[in-house]
Amino acid sequence: MRTSLSLVLAALAIPAAAQESRQLDAHEHGVGELNIAFEGNIMAMELHVPGADIVGFEHAATSAEDRTAIENAVATLARPLELFVLPEGAECTVTQASAELESEESHDQHEEHEEHDDHDDHADDDGHEDHAEEHHEDEAGHTEFHAEYTLTCAHPGAITGFKFAYFDVFQNARELEVQIVSTSGARAFEVERDAPTLDLRGMF
Amino acid sequence: MILRLAIASLLARALTVGMTVLAIALSVALFLGVEKVRTGAKASFANTISGTDLIVGARSGSVQLLLYSVFRIGNATNNITWDSYQDIAAQPQVDWIVPISLGDSHRQFRVMGTSPEFFARYKYRQGRSLAMTDGVVMADLFDAVIGADVATTLGYSVGDPIVVAHGLASFTEHKDQPFRISGILEKTGTPVDRTVIVSLEAIEAIHVDWQSGAQIPGQSTPVDVIRQMDLEPKAVTAALIGVKSPLQTFALQRAINEYPEEPLLAVLPGVALQELWAIVGVAETALLGVSAMVVVTALIGMMATIFSSLNERRREMAIFRAMGARPLIIVGLLVLEAMLTAAIGAVLGLSLLYLALFIAQPIVDSAFGLWLPIEAPSLRKLWVLVGVIAAGAIVSFVPALRAYRISLADGMLVRT
Repeated sequence: MRTSLSLVLAALAIPAAAQESRQLDAHEHGVGELNIAFEGNIMAMELHVPGADIVGFEHAATSAEDRTAIENAVATLARPLELFVLPEGAECTVTQASAELESEESHDQHEEHEEHDDHDDHADDDGHEDHAEEHHEDEAGHTEFHAEYTLTCAHPGAITGFKFAYFDVFQNARELEVQIVSTSGARAFEVERDAPTLDLRGMF
Repeated sequence: MILRLAIASLLARALTVGMTVLAIALSVALFLGVEKVRTGAKASFANTISGTDLIVGARSGSVQLLLYSVFRIGNATNNITWDSYQDIAAQPQVDWIVPISLGDSHRQFRVMGTSPEFFARYKYRQGRSLAMTDGVVMADLFDAVIGADVATTLGYSVGDPIVVAHGLASFTEHKDQPFRISGILEKTGTPVDRTVIVSLEAIEAIHVDWQSGAQIPGQSTPVDVIRQMDLEPKAVTAALIGVKSPLQTFALQRAINEYPEEPLLAVLPGVALQELWAIVGVAETALLGVSAMVVVTALIGMMATIFSSLNERRREMAIFRAMGARPLIIVGLLVLEAMLTAAIGAVLGLSLLYLALFIAQPIVDSAFGLWLPIEAPSLRKLWVLVGVIAAGAIVSFVPALRAYRISLADGMLVRT
């Protein structure tokens, strides 16, 4: 199946593919999505945020300024613990982090990420860099920053909540829609700039 | 001393006090009843699906998909093709997948086509599994398993033949293929109780001779021939999925939501339920607000009766004062009386609620599929009762202050 799905996705990337498929994701400026999954000591996070929230524009980066802004943003997004502050007692460390800018029509990288799902080797994450480059040649459409993190926490029980320094770093972001899944089920939260914390007591 | 006085005074005016108590009791019962139905409905919904990580269906809304596929409420979502179903089933993250096919009915009950794995995978009330009271899971093509409510309402037992019909309120029945009941499920308090479960192949089988909802005249395929046919389903309504690890949930959800060949939607049941609560939350708050206002009205009614009793009791108060009672004692007496009235009302209200629950529980269950558990009052409820008593005390302060101000002479003077 994996091969057949990647085939399909590969076919999508070619504009003149026989079976045309047109579909777009939801895109609301100011509102990002953060998905968090827990299992044992491992915590996986994925972040999807409109380009406007992060760098303030969604057009193709033409000037050197724009490019620097995007590069800085990607670098900032690759340091999750500075954006989403966890309690010290949990002793979480980042085992894998990647961030990139994604345009609306290129979803052909999902298979890439799944390779990282086995948490044994996180050695090589550099592969993502060239992806970021590829997608800069964008038309007028929306763009989205996309980041994935894997963290290992020595004491996951100590995670009583998150502090979202994210809102201090990115001034255009208004809200994050957070979904959390663990073995005990799924919950959704809305974290807003006014109250940038998430209380997870009772979740575990 | 003052307590005895208060009780005796209340007893002396048993009728008026009784009316006030009744008003408070009814209002408290209403308030607690609304709260009970609200929490009961939430718990009932939350208990219906457990252990399922994702629900997959045609792209619609997450709430609509959840309501239709799990609760059989609301508009039908589109079907998804069998090809897409198999593609999803083959995804590496999928631990198990159970198809659900809706659209047919037996009398007023829905017929659901699924795989035998449903009985092992479907969990309710924090991980409880389905169990049979009688019989076994369907083994034959024309076997059906029925929920507890179906069995009791229609008086079915294992071995009985049943006929499955097109649509819900049906004019045409699939008379040529009678099903046989192979098992009856235990009562779960979920929509499964009101469902007839057959295999996916059976759903295909009953539609063999049917084209666009009507039977082709003069054509009826014998059961033996149907058994020989390839009954691979062409479509299902939805699918329940369990993932191997919670860490893979979002990756799978995204893969399904971006599935290029068919617009599909994967929802996290817990999150979809939360969305539903966010929608009904406004109505809920309004209902709770209205019932709280009814309690306030009853308490103000009590204040009015105390006010009017002040006139009747001018003499009484004056005599207390003449006998050496300080004005503060008078205030204390009135407030204590009001608190006693409110307390009796509150306790009576609670008893009324339980009485109503005992009577209404089976009715609500069969009419709305809502199971309201009868259990000891929660701490929250007890706080409501304490709140009512406290509010009674506060409300009675106004007339009590008036009584405090009325001079001793006022009651002693003979007025014409």
